[in-house]
Amino acid sequence: MRTARSLFAICLAALPGVLAAQMLDPSLLLKPPTNAWPTYNGDYSGRRFSTLSQINQSNIKNLNLAWIYRANPGETPGAKVGGEGPPPKPGQGGNPFGVSIKATPLMVNGVLYFTTPDNTWAVDARTGTELWHYFWRTRGGIHIGNRGVGMYGNWLYFETPDNYLVSLDAKTGKERWHKEIADVKQEYFSTPAPIVVGNHVIVGTGGDSLDVPGFLEAHDPETGEIQWKWWSEPMKKGDLGAESWPDEYSMRHGGGMTWIPGTYDPELKLYYVGTGNPNPVMAGQSRKGDDLFTCSIVALDIETGKMRWYFQASPHDTHDWDAAQTPVLFDGVIDGKPRKLLAQANRNGYFFVLDRETGKDIVSYPFLETMNWSKGVDSMGRPIPNPEKEPQVPGVLVSPPSGGATNWPPPSFDPETGLFYVGTSASYSVFYLTDTDPHPEGYGAAEKASGGLGSTLRAIDYKTGKTVWRHDFPGGGTTGLLTTAGKLLFAGDGSNHLVVFDPANGKILWHAGLGGNVGNGPETYLLDGKQYLVVGAGDSLYAFTLAQ
Amino acid sequence: MIDFGRPARVALVLLSGIVPQVWSQTPGGPASKPADQTPAPARRAGFAGAGGDYKQYDEATLDRGKRTYSANCAFCHGGNAKGGESGPDLLRSVTVLHDENGELIGKVLQNGRVDKGMPKFNFSPDQVADISAFLHDSVRAAAERGTYKILDILVGDPKAGQAYFNGAGGCTGCHSVTGDLAHVGSKYDAVNLQQKIVMPREGRQFGRRSGKSPTDVTATVTLPTGEVFNGTLEKMDDFAIAIVDQNGDYHSFARDGDVPKIELHDPMKGHTELLKRYTDADIHNLTAYLVTLK
Repeated sequence: MRTARSLFAICLAALPGVLAAQMLDPSLLLKPPTNAWPTYNGDYSGRRFSTLSQINQSNIKNLNLAWIYRANPGETPGAKVGGEGPPPKPGQGGNPFGVSIKATPLMVNGVLYFTTPDNTWAVDARTGTELWHYFWRTRGGIHIGNRGVGMYGNWLYFETPDNYLVSLDAKTGKERWHKEIADVKQEYFSTPAPIVVGNHVIVGTGGDSLDVPGFLEAHDPETGEIQWKWWSEPMKKGDLGAESWPDEYSMRHGGGMTWIPGTYDPELKLYYVGTGNPNPVMAGQSRKGDDLFTCSIVALDIETGKMRWYFQASPHDTHDWDAAQTPVLFDGVIDGKPRKLLAQANRNGYFFVLDRETGKDIVSYPFLETMNWSKGVDSMGRPIPNPEKEPQVPGVLVSPPSGGATNWPPPSFDPETGLFYVGTSASYSVFYLTDTDPHPEGYGAAEKASGGLGSTLRAIDYKTGKTVWRHDFPGGGTTGLLTTAGKLLFAGDGSNHLVVFDPANGKILWHAGLGGNVGNGPETYLLDGKQYLVVGAGDSLYAFTLAQ
Repeated sequence: MIDFGRPARVALVLLSGIVPQVWSQTPGGPASKPADQTPAPARRAGFAGAGGDYKQYDEATLDRGKRTYSANCAFCHGGNAKGGESGPDLLRSVTVLHDENGELIGKVLQNGRVDKGMPKFNFSPDQVADISAFLHDSVRAAAERGTYKILDILVGDPKAGQAYFNGAGGCTGCHSVTGDLAHVGSKYDAVNLQQKIVMPREGRQFGRRSGKSPTDVTATVTLPTGEVFNGTLEKMDDFAIAIVDQNGDYHSFARDGDVPKIELHDPMKGHTELLKRYTDADIHNLTAYLVTLK
């Protein structure tokens, strides 16, 4: 009897396991990750904060390498192959930029899923053993990076440089379908990790060379059919924001790419995404006005794609300062009152805190000391551009350069310290207007790097925007970040190290040399009762655990 | 701690002024090269016109194409094909962008778009190919920002530049117009001269064991024992510093906070400091002055 009951219990326990070996439980996406990393930022908030504390300040010295997985992209033997392009010629099919893992892997039920341009892998999260590899034959597009996959049940989703949304069976890597989301011949190229919210797969795109409009769209996770599409610009006179463009032609070629995954508030049912720069990129004469909704943080209704509010970080941008950086969601206290907040360290050098219900500005503070393009902020908290710092024929010296005060590597917010962490860079460029035509096209200006004052990891007080502590890296830039309840802040240092800081004061607690620079934000998860720390650097994933 | 993998290749941002290159979304700009990788979007055969891979045409073809275009098309589509009074911008035309060798453009020319007021044209296949080459090359010229030509930048006042050089700029602390900068206006054009003013250090000045440059950063490392090492900085991060001494010998030291003591000497520090102080007029005036030093 006892045996039978035990057997029955085992069967009961095993059954869902078998059925759901790869399946992602959607409820995982609504809480901070512990035994999974189920979406690009770990959870929808974009905080990249883990409540795990098995690895903590008292034992960080015992953190040890568990395994390395080296990615071998291309049409390798055994790879599952899809795509609309020709087979790669010998020596092609890798990446002209070299292999750099810019994805944050998802970890679901013991398997890591990640990408490089045209490639997706499944790797055993305990051992680093490859389970499958999928290769996409490309039709072109800029192969500069890919941020990873999204997951819904048993299905994976990723975007390709030639602008397809591809769905794979997570168990086998077999392709289910692919849908073209943008035209590669118009110089669109796609890098984001799709974000899955309910039964919506949210995808964005990129492309700056030929003045095309940006958009964000939702796809059905089963069929791939489009559910809604939100354009980054008004499309015709009379639309909201149309008065910020001279004419319909300029707004329809106005840019505003959505190339970094957004964040989501399940209570407000709002999806937050930052939009890219307007086009033509650096020559603004054909698009006089604020150029809404480029360089903006926007809140979209998740069911309809309708815009609820917007906040423009760089009105009439002419320096390629996307506002695409992760909009981080957390609840805080402002003037003694609890508020639902959204914070962003922007490429233009400003730190913004908004009320995420209304989009109203609470803090606008220039965190970058060298920032020289703005004359302060207006009554709505928007920076006021100094027109003299727009690109001009004889050149103007501007900080930050187009690469920005910060960029796509994800920041982190630690609710225990209340500090917002971000890697920043203080540099200058001279911007030369090269296209003086009334209708410039493409970038319209040349930019020459003019030196800088280095890269810094900052801890910012969200209530003021002021830097509470900073660590200046003597060699190289900073990368994506992770904070944990173990009172640890994980970062890359631009000198091929993974470095752990005390989030309270910036003291270095531990480091490890890697075979490349940290490529995206480190991540952590609990598996078999053991906390793993996984980070991509160069062409490899590195997993660390505590020494037994 | 744990060190493994390939030797580090460090971008010494603080001292060299090189923008960190891990951040870019779009390739081709100065701040947008992927870290330690290919400097420009690599050309990938077979993907014409997408992702930075543009077809190259010979000058004669482009000349013929431009002449045929100017004589027949420019009246409506504008001299630069960016659109005119009655014809649309052809560089943003989806038809042109999807065309490879004139097969789509040719069809439009042959049939016209009578409903939109465009007549039929009776071009030979060679003429169609020439026009198509001209249009594709114009698209490339708009999209490929690495090839943009900087215009005439000489707007400054040479006298004001001279005053800044001798006064507020503090340039004479290191430079002399009869010494190291003699005839500098004959060596470089205005654009390169201006770039040298704001960023005299070219490329990376570390990691090289030979070919010392006057812009190299040097370091003095003092060990707790009192032993002192001097040399050219090869690499520095929070955990190690490496220098090459005057004999060409390589020395590397682990760092632990302030130990060992490190003093860096950056001969370009004055230029970096000026970045915070310059007005754009100061830069333009300096350029206008230095180009007169023929």
